[in-house]
Formats: sequence, C-alpha cells, structure tokens
Amino acid sequence: MRTHVPNFQGLLNILRKLRSHPEKELRLLLLGLDNAGKTTLLKQLASEDVTHVTPTAGFNIKSVLSNGFKLNVWDIGGQRKIRPYWRNYFENTDILIYVVDCSDHQRLEETSLELAELLQDDKLRGVPLLVYANKQDLATALPASEVAQDLGLHLIRDRTWQIQACVATDGTGVKEGMEWVCKNIPVKK
Amino acid sequence: MTEVLPVEDGIQNRVETILSGFQINWMNLRDADTGKILWQHNDDMSNPDVEHEARVPKRILKCRVVSREMNFSSVESMERFRLEQKVLFKGRCLEEWFFEFGYVISNSTNTWQSIIESAPESQMMPANVLNGNIVIETKFFDGDLLITTSKVRLFYV
Repeated sequence: MRTHVPNFQGLLNILRKLRSHPEKELRLLLLGLDNAGKTTLLKQLASEDVTHVTPTAGFNIKSVLSNGFKLNVWDIGGQRKIRPYWRNYFENTDILIYVVDCSDHQRLEETSLELAELLQDDKLRGVPLLVYANKQDLATALPASEVAQDLGLHLIRDRTWQIQACVATDGTGVKEGMEWVCKNIPVKK
Repeated sequence: MTEVLPVEDGIQNRVETILSGFQINWMNLRDADTGKILWQHNDDMSNPDVEHEARVPKRILKCRVVSREMNFSSVESMERFRLEQKVLFKGRCLEEWFFEFGYVISNSTNTWQSIIESAPESQMMPANVLNGNIVIETKFFDGDLLITTSKVRLFYV
C-alpha cells in the first residue's frame, strides 16, 4: 500500500517554488553505491513502475520543463567501476542527493568513504546534501539516526545537510526529502 | 613514421567509430501524470537513413504532461555529448530541446527523459490534423560533430 504518492507533481512543485528564484535551471545529482535505490527513487518521483529496475551502467536523466524553468535530475550508476567517472558530472550541481541502503551493513563503511570523498571535492564545495536513508521497510535496516552517525554527518560544517528515512519502492519519505530540497536551493554566485 | 591523415578524414573516421558503437535501444512516450507508457519501441532508431514510424494512441493529445524517453548505448567514450531534439509539424519547428550530457562513459547505457507540459487544450491541434505530420527529430553530437540523426514520424491511432 502506498502511503504517499509523490508523483511527477513532486518534480513540478519544485519548479513552481522556484518561480521567484533567479535561477532558471536547477541540477540535482543523485549518487550512492550500486543497489542503493537511486534509479528507483528517480522513477518514484515520476510515479513510474519500479518493479523492473536494472543496474545503471551509465546515467539516467530526467529533464522537466515548466513555465520556463528547467529541472535536471542526474542519476549516475553506483558500481565500483563507474564511480571514478562521477566527477565528470559534478559541475553546476545545486543539490547533492546521496542514497544509502540501510540494510547493507557490510558496505556502510564503503558508502561512508565514498561520501567523504564527495564532500571533499572542490566542484561540490558548499553544495547542500540530502541523504536518503533508504530501505527502511526491511527488518534489518538501521534507523536514519544511526546511519547519520556512521556517515559522520554531524561533523559537516561547510554545507547544510539533512537525512531523510525513506522507502524508495513505495514512496514513503521521498516527498519529505524533496520538500527539503525545495527549501535549500542555493542562489548561485 | 605515422601517416598523417587530412583533417576531414580524421573527423570522418571519428564519426564512423562513434556511430558504429552507438545505438538507441528503446524509446517511449508516457503520460507523465500517471507514469504509464503509451508507446514504446524496442528497435534501434538511430539509423539515419530510415524515417521510423510510431503509432501512438490518440489520447496522448489529452495528456497534460507528456514524457519522451530514450535509452542509448555507446561503446566509445565521448567528451561533450549533447542532443538537439525538435518536434516538427510539416517540417516547421513547434518545439525544441537542447540538452548537454557532457561526458559519456565508454560501454555505457544511458537514459534521457524529457518531460514537458503540453499546450492548453484550446491551442492543441486536433489528431486528424497532426496525424502523420509530426516528426520527432533527434540529433546527437559530440561537441560540434554530428554523430547521427533519428527521425520518428507520429501517427495518432
């Protein structure tokens, strides 16, 4: 059963809220390890079927145009061999969305290291960070608060951040995260 | 000693190399309000010599928001990959979308989906006028280099 229906309207709402914003184009970057749920999250935002999502061997982009405002959401594959290419997609990012599979205890350290590296990158300096603590429907999932600890989010001083518990497969928590995104779009210098 | 090719030959070779490893895997059209697929095609539509045909249900014209999606693969990496997509009515451009992807990873498969709010129904031309007269033309470039053009003519059924 769906608790929320964060359909495509969710993406359009982001654009609507931008109306008074000086920027006409917004770029969201979705990163995380393979199998974290990035593509499922992206599809959920557009109320598309999420039952047959396959590993992304490159990128998936959603471009939305409404009233002259453009939103581009970039979802880049998370497999180890693709991660070295992430940097190619950092430029002009307005918000970084990092997705974590909270049931994958074994790779919590790995995902934490990858995130730390992202946060040190010059091209992403000061970019607001939203972490989706995904797969909260699984019994073995760590709660968002614990994941925040493991990722060391409380040590971040150079940007605003938020962690949002979610279930990408049914949409729970996805909308709340997007609302945070709307409120934290930076004005470019 | 290496043979130095004339500039044009070098460019032509590059286009051929990229094109031989470039493929559009599928395309679809959705009602973006519901996310439901209204039309999908699974053959390579990147062959520039063929104008492809799509039979799309008429009700797509009633959709408030329509999504066009294409999935493509490239064997070669590209530095500045971009596309220009135009919706043509009897050859006249009704709508265009430029998109720059930037880097394309070698041996990658990628998806680009564009979602657009349609004109108010009062401004929408009826199906019988549009039928067979709308062509979606997508040109793929690496920088200034045209890689291929895909043309799909729409029929509303």
